[in-house]
Amino acid sequence: MKTLLKGLAGVAGAMALAVGGTASADKEPIKFALLQDFTAVYTFVSSEYNQGQQDYLRLINETGGVEGHPIETIIRDTANEPQRGLEAYNRARREGAVLVDFFSTPVSRAAVNRVLRDEVVMITALHGRGDASHGETFPFVFPMMATYWSQATLLADYIDRHQGGLANKRIALVHIDSPFGREPLPVLQELAQQKGFQLRSFGYPSPGTEQSATWSDVRRYRPDHVIIWGAGGGQQVSVREAIRNGIRPQNILSVVWLSETDARNVGGNHMNGVKRFEAVASGREPAVIQDILTHVVEPGLGAGPAANVGSSYYNIGVATMAVAVEAARLAIREFGAPLTGDTLRRGFEMIEGFDARGLMPPVTLTATDHQGGGYGRVSQWNGQTWEPLTDWSNAFQEIVWHEIEKDAQGFRDGR
Amino acid sequence: MFYRLSGIHHTRYESARALWPVTADRRIVQGLLLLAVAAPFLLSDLYLTSYMLPWLIWTAAALSLTLLMGVAGQLHFGFAAVMAIGAYTSIHLTRAGVPFELALLGAGLMAALIGCLFGAAALRVKGLYLVMATLAMQYLVEWTIINVPAISGGAQATLSTPDVTFLFIPLQSDGALYYTALLWTVVVTLLIMNIKRSSFGRALVAVRDKDFAASVIGVNPLKYKLLAFFASSFLGGVTGAVLAFCYYQAVTPEQFGFNVSIQLVAMVLVGGLGSVIGAYLGAGFVLLLPIVLTNLLAFVAQFDLIPISFNLLSHIPLMVYGALIIGVILFEPLGLAKIYDNIRKYFLVWPFRHTQS
Repeated sequence: MKTLLKGLAGVAGAMALAVGGTASADKEPIKFALLQDFTAVYTFVSSEYNQGQQDYLRLINETGGVEGHPIETIIRDTANEPQRGLEAYNRARREGAVLVDFFSTPVSRAAVNRVLRDEVVMITALHGRGDASHGETFPFVFPMMATYWSQATLLADYIDRHQGGLANKRIALVHIDSPFGREPLPVLQELAQQKGFQLRSFGYPSPGTEQSATWSDVRRYRPDHVIIWGAGGGQQVSVREAIRNGIRPQNILSVVWLSETDARNVGGNHMNGVKRFEAVASGREPAVIQDILTHVVEPGLGAGPAANVGSSYYNIGVATMAVAVEAARLAIREFGAPLTGDTLRRGFEMIEGFDARGLMPPVTLTATDHQGGGYGRVSQWNGQTWEPLTDWSNAFQEIVWHEIEKDAQGFRDGR
Repeated sequence: MFYRLSGIHHTRYESARALWPVTADRRIVQGLLLLAVAAPFLLSDLYLTSYMLPWLIWTAAALSLTLLMGVAGQLHFGFAAVMAIGAYTSIHLTRAGVPFELALLGAGLMAALIGCLFGAAALRVKGLYLVMATLAMQYLVEWTIINVPAISGGAQATLSTPDVTFLFIPLQSDGALYYTALLWTVVVTLLIMNIKRSSFGRALVAVRDKDFAASVIGVNPLKYKLLAFFASSFLGGVTGAVLAFCYYQAVTPEQFGFNVSIQLVAMVLVGGLGSVIGAYLGAGFVLLLPIVLTNLLAFVAQFDLIPISFNLLSHIPLMVYGALIIGVILFEPLGLAKIYDNIRKYFLVWPFRHTQS
């Protein structure tokens, strides 16, 4: 009886919410589909990332929506499987979603042809195809943050400017042996020729929990700097193995996927001095995160544990939705409601110098450039937080764009 | 009663050996085939492209594997690699201008060739050791695809399938893709059913049950093990190509990873080893049940009756799915096909109790 009463109370509550919802936002909702992997490979990342996205959208809904339109989310687990991702995508598209975010490279790669055909915006921040930055070839796909190529060039540029130059140095790229791990190779090889440094790549087998054989090879190579390129559990193994093999933490640079959690797992202060590429500021200082804390987390509306707020991946999630909401706002202002995939795309392409109030580098998207300049910065783990070492900047974009053009050409030829 | 046997007298070998000697079985199959053909008109595009189409293609894959694992008794834990070889071969062939029909054949032959190479290990090892050999195939093929950009398609490691025609029909519309997959699955189904009642099939079964006993009665195990690997890999390769062209339309190495191999083995085991209807049921169970459970739970969750975190919510389908697999295995170790068989046998003599086999 008690449970029945509770259930009835729940139904009543839900109905009240629904009525309240219709009263506060009278215009038709905008639907964003966040179809991500919560159960298989990227769980540790996507739960924080998705929490950031949900909290930001909640903040927008609590403060009046996008020009009066509330945002509805369709959230499903895809378990990182393309066939489940495609099912969820087809379903979301039928329900009227104008934007999808799979946050999974295999799923977004399988979905590229479909979103181009269906005219649904797909954001691929820090995953997916790097050549999707080529707006004319991929009109509906938006990487919207620095691609892996831009990350590699920025890290190289940091060594060049702040760590004694690149010329005649030995750089080791230690990467997971997958397409993602090999992605930075072409731009780094090009840079090695231009700047005159030695580059050698060392692959370790997926999923990267065992890398000791690889690192003894790296030690024999005696690199001046090591760039580690992996994601998830493999990253902390890389850092630990590097230090064990006598590489100073100061000389370890990482792709964007290195977080507070990894530092905690490496333990103690061993990781102090390790550097990483950063596409979005971490911590709770940015104004947007402060707003989320006051309007969403403190009233108890947060989508997950409050401790995650301000973590690296949480903030990346907030940044993706900040850009998407800004695009929706521009699109509705320019073309009016209802928002379609096509007008949302044009909204994205109108974004100019948007930095989500200091959360991220100013991003400008155009019909040709869907990467937004490839900005980022290098930050260093100081035992407590990731401390930025440089200002937002980009580097060697001509090399990056050479790769983008080449691969986009390949995509066009393949069809 | 429902599967009435009275009045069915087999006076000729042909009728006794027919695929479906019982009228009721034949009617059910005809009805299902009719439904399958009419599916594009009955189902919305969501259910056609996201449920029926992948289900049919994965059924063809499970059928190919069940020929090897169920009929011939050779364990294979790298079947996704076989499909990958087929998918990549077909894409590279069509890109080189070869017609799709021939590219399908080429995909099958290439997969059969490489599959036989690793299958040769089966001539020396059995059981768990064969599992290791086929696992090696899975990882070697994956490694080769990833590390040879000419195969994987450069830095993005994604190859889109070119626009092709199949039997003069352009593979563009949902309907064309669906009918191509349906045709292939029907062909594989009929083939496996015929193999099972032919001398080839009986030889495979003999090798499965005891290979040296088979050689005593004059069945050459070497030949038949290799033939089993050849046939199964050929079908798997073509299915991989059909999967690439009719469903994914863009191929990446992750689509044929180790977990896919395990899923295929699960389809065969949950469905019932060596059973044709088991492949259909197993593929549906492994492929569609997680999706259905996720959507069901998301539907329930929108009423907000119980406050549970989203993280837990997305894991509940996994728990239910795991419990269901254990339940099926406990309830009927011979798989879903046996459950179907039990039901059929019950109705064979209904309303009486005792079944005949």
